[in-house]
Amino acid sequence: MFRKILIANRGEIAVRILRACREMNIRTVGVFSEVDRNALHVRLADEAYAIGLAASRESYLRIDKLIDVAKKAGCNALHPGYGFLAENPALPRACSDVGITFIGPPAEAMEAMGSKTAGKQLARRSDVPTVPGTDDSLENPEEAQSLARTMGYPVLLKAIAGGGGKGMRVVPNDAAFAAAWRDAASEALNAFDDPRVFLEKYLIGPRHIEIQVFADAHGRVVSLGERECSVQRRHQKVIEEAPSPVVTPDLRRKMGEAAVRLARAGGYVNAGTVEFLVDADLNFYFLEVNARLQVEHPVTEQVTGLDLVKLQIAIAAGHRLPFAWESITPRGHAMEVRLYAEDPDNNFFPSPGHILARHAPTGPGIRLDEGVYEGYTVPMEYDPLLSKLIAWGNSREETIARLRRALDEYTITGIRTNVSLFRRILAEPEFLKGEIHTKWLDELLTRPRPPAVAPRQGTEEAAVIAAALWHIEQAGKPSNEQPRALAPSRWKLQGRREQRDRTP
Amino acid sequence: MKFEVHLQSVALGAKTRIVELEREGSNYRVKIDGQAVHADAVQVAPNTISVLLDGQAFEVHVTPSPDGTIKLQSGPHEFLAELRDPRAWQGRKHGAAEVEGRQQIVAPMPGKVIRLLVKVGDEVEAGQGLVVVEAMKMQNEIRSPKTGRVERLQVKEGQNVNAGEVLCVVS
Repeated sequence: MFRKILIANRGEIAVRILRACREMNIRTVGVFSEVDRNALHVRLADEAYAIGLAASRESYLRIDKLIDVAKKAGCNALHPGYGFLAENPALPRACSDVGITFIGPPAEAMEAMGSKTAGKQLARRSDVPTVPGTDDSLENPEEAQSLARTMGYPVLLKAIAGGGGKGMRVVPNDAAFAAAWRDAASEALNAFDDPRVFLEKYLIGPRHIEIQVFADAHGRVVSLGERECSVQRRHQKVIEEAPSPVVTPDLRRKMGEAAVRLARAGGYVNAGTVEFLVDADLNFYFLEVNARLQVEHPVTEQVTGLDLVKLQIAIAAGHRLPFAWESITPRGHAMEVRLYAEDPDNNFFPSPGHILARHAPTGPGIRLDEGVYEGYTVPMEYDPLLSKLIAWGNSREETIARLRRALDEYTITGIRTNVSLFRRILAEPEFLKGEIHTKWLDELLTRPRPPAVAPRQGTEEAAVIAAALWHIEQAGKPSNEQPRALAPSRWKLQGRREQRDRTP
Repeated sequence: MKFEVHLQSVALGAKTRIVELEREGSNYRVKIDGQAVHADAVQVAPNTISVLLDGQAFEVHVTPSPDGTIKLQSGPHEFLAELRDPRAWQGRKHGAAEVEGRQQIVAPMPGKVIRLLVKVGDEVEAGQGLVVVEAMKMQNEIRSPKTGRVERLQVKEGQNVNAGEVLCVVS
């Protein structure tokens, strides 16, 4: 096993990796930019070294500096976390050049699966369904229509030269095909001087469901089940859960097998995620591979009982996956919300700043993966993810109830957070029924906000009393932040008065 | 201590409440808008106040802003509050301890200057009126905190002023 690991990241994920190392008795080396000296990962690491300026490309993205620190500190391995350099094949190559183990997939696997096009080609070769369609133009409408029939409606016609929705038509049924073809082709000709169009299956309200895979260096590849991440705001995941409310044991097995086939074909080792779109009829289509640990890995941990980061480290050290894991099934339900320093009332504008007070939720079924603390100043230079609040329970209902309860307990003052967004989502009937898709949240946010719930009787009075009490207690203590004019000492005033009276 | 609290919230709109807190042993006797209420309020952690109102439990988190307003959060509910001590506003009539040195007299609330009661160079007594400011349809005399001479007048009659804006300087 490794003796010392360099954690090439910051924020909550650096803390997460650090904790796994500590449990495995591995020493940790943190790195920090000039604005991260006070960050939690620096406070918790065994060793920490400055690697440059605030801008990521001058610090967290500098492979040379990371390798330099790893060598000087005598690290045997490096964990990239997610984001930054996690999917850059140059990092595993730089590591192997100096004899440091990279905790993640080999550079070749990243290249074979990382890009969307490479991944799609690999998926086709390994018999993993992709969104049906043709990449090439179709010469005559009859040929296209028969293809559309085999594919099943609705289908999408897209201009080869297309962009901006020009030359694009959704065809709902066979009767509408001929007219749609004509319109799309003539629109494409007018817009791009190129009438060629191609055909793709049109997915209505697809769900985003992904499979967590693990592969060891000895040829065993396993699926740890799915996560549903359909609640997204502008393609960014906001809530993740496992298991998915719509995945049946049969679908789980099929998706798992497809993901394992793909990972095997790509020569994958370590933790990876195969993302799929799932349509209303539960057909699944390959989307892309994330060749790293995912932000939402804790939901899989909570339903499998595994520690994915420790597993990553063990696999990187050459350990084997136990055979029994090939048939792992989820237990209970887990859900994660991503708490960001952003203002949901102001178009989700980032709201970095000083955390004045913070109270973390605890209790049954609650986990908080966090990179902040009371008194910490959230820097403006990086992603404003504060913490991931994860709840789990026996059922989806219990999990949601726990998450709501924990959100009520969680207080953070001094900065704005998106907590109110989660309060709203977790009360939406559609969400509670699991009727979600990748555009669901964006659509929800265009609807009028439900009227503000009237606070319970007495809230206003309590607020007024609290304001007055706070003011009194604030005035009673010397404050460094707001120097106020001190009342002059009565002894001194009396002395002056007496002196003045004595003066003739 | 008596305070006028100006509250604003999405659910309730804007309101003004008068709250009085009189120390009684380790606790406070509380009146709201002149009515005694059965309240037990404790600052349990910095900027966190637990209030038991007739047994109903509330926790209120206080976040001060540089502009002098404070944000009050209780569960999902948020209020923006501005607090003022009516005594400070009207000046102390009795027993005020005289302050020393050059004093800036500031507007305690946003409002409009109605009348200037002194000129630059005037000798003033502690407690003497300097400027009349109208706010919330009430005329308030801003008094001198000390005996001295009006060194500077920063405002004109009819001028609008913000909270914290310097009205005049007495030295």
